[in-house]
Amino acid sequence: MNQSQDEPFFIGWAAPPDLLRPFLAGVALGLLLLAGVFAYLVSATQDDPGDGAFMGRAVAHGVLQTDPYPVLHVVESERYEPGTPLILSGNGKIGVRDRASKVDGQYVRAAGTKLERGDLSGLQLANGMNGLRPADGAIPQIETDDLGRWRLTGEICDGKCLIGAMRPGRGLAHKACANLCLAGDVPPVFVATDKVDGSEFFLLANADGQSLGDTMMDYTAIFIEAEGRVEKRGNLNIFFIEEDTVKVIR
Amino acid sequence: MSVKYVPVQWNMNKWLYDAVLIAFVVIYIIVFLRLGAPQADFTRPTDGQIVRMRAFGSCAFLMLTVILCIGPLARLDRRFLPLLYNRRHFGVLTTIVAFTHATYVYGWYYNFTPMARYEAMIASNTSFGQILGFPIEPFGIFALFVLAVLAATSHDFWLSFLTAPVWKRLHLLIYPAYIALVLHVALGYLQDTKNPTFAILFASGALLVAILHVAAWRQDRLRSADSEWIDLGPPSEIPENRARIIQLRGNERAAIFRYDGKLSAVSNACAHQNGPLGEGRIIDGCITCPWHGFQYRMADGRSPEPFTETIPTYALRWNGDRVELNRNANLPGTYVDPLRLSEGSQ
Amino acid sequence: MAAMILLTGQIYLAVGALVALPFLVVGLGRIDENAQNTWVFRPMLIPGVLLIWPLVLWRWIVLETGRADEPARHRPPLTWQPRLTLTLAVLLPFLIFAALVIRQDGPFERPAVQLEDGL
Repeated sequence: MNQSQDEPFFIGWAAPPDLLRPFLAGVALGLLLLAGVFAYLVSATQDDPGDGAFMGRAVAHGVLQTDPYPVLHVVESERYEPGTPLILSGNGKIGVRDRASKVDGQYVRAAGTKLERGDLSGLQLANGMNGLRPADGAIPQIETDDLGRWRLTGEICDGKCLIGAMRPGRGLAHKACANLCLAGDVPPVFVATDKVDGSEFFLLANADGQSLGDTMMDYTAIFIEAEGRVEKRGNLNIFFIEEDTVKVIR
Repeated sequence: MSVKYVPVQWNMNKWLYDAVLIAFVVIYIIVFLRLGAPQADFTRPTDGQIVRMRAFGSCAFLMLTVILCIGPLARLDRRFLPLLYNRRHFGVLTTIVAFTHATYVYGWYYNFTPMARYEAMIASNTSFGQILGFPIEPFGIFALFVLAVLAATSHDFWLSFLTAPVWKRLHLLIYPAYIALVLHVALGYLQDTKNPTFAILFASGALLVAILHVAAWRQDRLRSADSEWIDLGPPSEIPENRARIIQLRGNERAAIFRYDGKLSAVSNACAHQNGPLGEGRIIDGCITCPWHGFQYRMADGRSPEPFTETIPTYALRWNGDRVELNRNANLPGTYVDPLRLSEGSQ
Repeated sequence: MAAMILLTGQIYLAVGALVALPFLVVGLGRIDENAQNTWVFRPMLIPGVLLIWPLVLWRWIVLETGRADEPARHRPPLTWQPRLTLTLAVLLPFLIFAALVIRQDGPFERPAVQLEDGL
């Protein structure tokens, strides 16, 4: 590189020339100002993660259904309205299918930590019999209503982080975590852009009514369009997603 | 040189430099967590771990962006040179900040799962066949790995041990690492945020890096255009035992001869009557003027004994596989080492 | 697959540790006279050796066997660095523009469409 005489000459290990000091002080101040302004702007404009949250300890009695994913239809509880469907999960990114299948269709007592996001409720079960055990009570009929076949737009989330285990518990930065939850058999929830029969939340099942397994991992955390039958069980919408109709939307 | 290695050769400038850097990080994190986050429009607060991973992640991006701006800034304006020196401390601190970001991610998104956590990090997202939802973790891991390698090899010992060319090549990995970092953010958080502020800041930072690099490159080109070395292009354009003539300032011209796998440059004007030597050819090992047959040796521009005519010579050098000529003519008869073609294109 | 990648990484670092020990204790003083009788700074080199031990081995062997090409260390800087930085300068705007184009700017006003009636 050419160096003409009038340009300042700087030797790395020596003190900067006096002439340069005000300039360097200005650069340092500018950098510190940049740090503050950049940090403030990025931080203060973070998106709202929603109102989902852990809501403290809760106990509920009701009917348990295991397929496609474990859900408790509340009959009696101090913390939930009767008829509320609860998405069940274990401690951590793990479902409760093993424990639930032993009491499938029975009247049970479930206890743990309440999760709630808008109209959607969940329960993180305590371990062992403390969390889930058979109880005495009359088993009410859970109504099943076929709502027809629909084309829905929305996002596949895991039914634990979404309801409040993490804030935010959806979106691409959270995708790996959502996949881990689904791999752990946490019930997947479809959050649609429009309501069907009063709710935009749908428990997901495959077209055969079975659990998704890991078939939908490529479509989690992004907006997709998909078709399938929608069924109302108790107060819970279930979307029987047809895999070959899934499209990423623009 | 026999200066024994020490962990860090501190001096007052480095203390000041590092103090500013640490203040940069402290201000960034405190403003992010204490001033910014409470102002965000949250129904309920975002998870502390997630806010912290955002704080350290965005801080690392900003720091690396600044680091990449220092190089071209110093080339555009030499007053920035003191920032260039000690840039390695900037890099080491950036590595620590990026590592903190990764630690929060690792301890939150990959925690609470029955899988081993590192395994979970690799196995949780395998959507390599698509753009939206493409795993951002490998980009982040690659960038962090490069930062770690660069930080770990920043001591003077490595420069001496690996030799400058190897060390330099290694440290140019910072460019692919920055691309990976941009992809890590562009396919992750950038897709998530609805508020455009982050997108604007992120794009501005990355574009500034791009613009400064183009500007510095342009300036280097302009500088070299009026510098004392003139690009002659690859030597293959000159036929064997013949010359290529180039115009210098005024009426001055130089003739570059190719012979015996060598190149030499002399004035184009014959000492006899200014005949065009470059249109002549090499006969009996001497440049022979097409007008009256005056002869000169290529390397020193002197006529063979017993003649005493001399012409100016020019210095040549390689720039990659291109030849450059120094426009300042040597005194007539000055010996110049011929440029060997075998030494080109390194 | 994930386990394989992790195992590979662990083996890589383990070999690095095997290289680091003899290199830092014995090799360093033999190949670099400025490092003779210095001990405080040597632990600082451990992370570097762990991460780039193949390069370390290569340089160590070259220096020990006296096959080092000493003039090479004075060769001018890389001529392709401008090309690399220009590639960066072209890629960055392209990548960011592309990322903004594929953004799914929700919330979407997409209605749920009923395709068939319920039974």
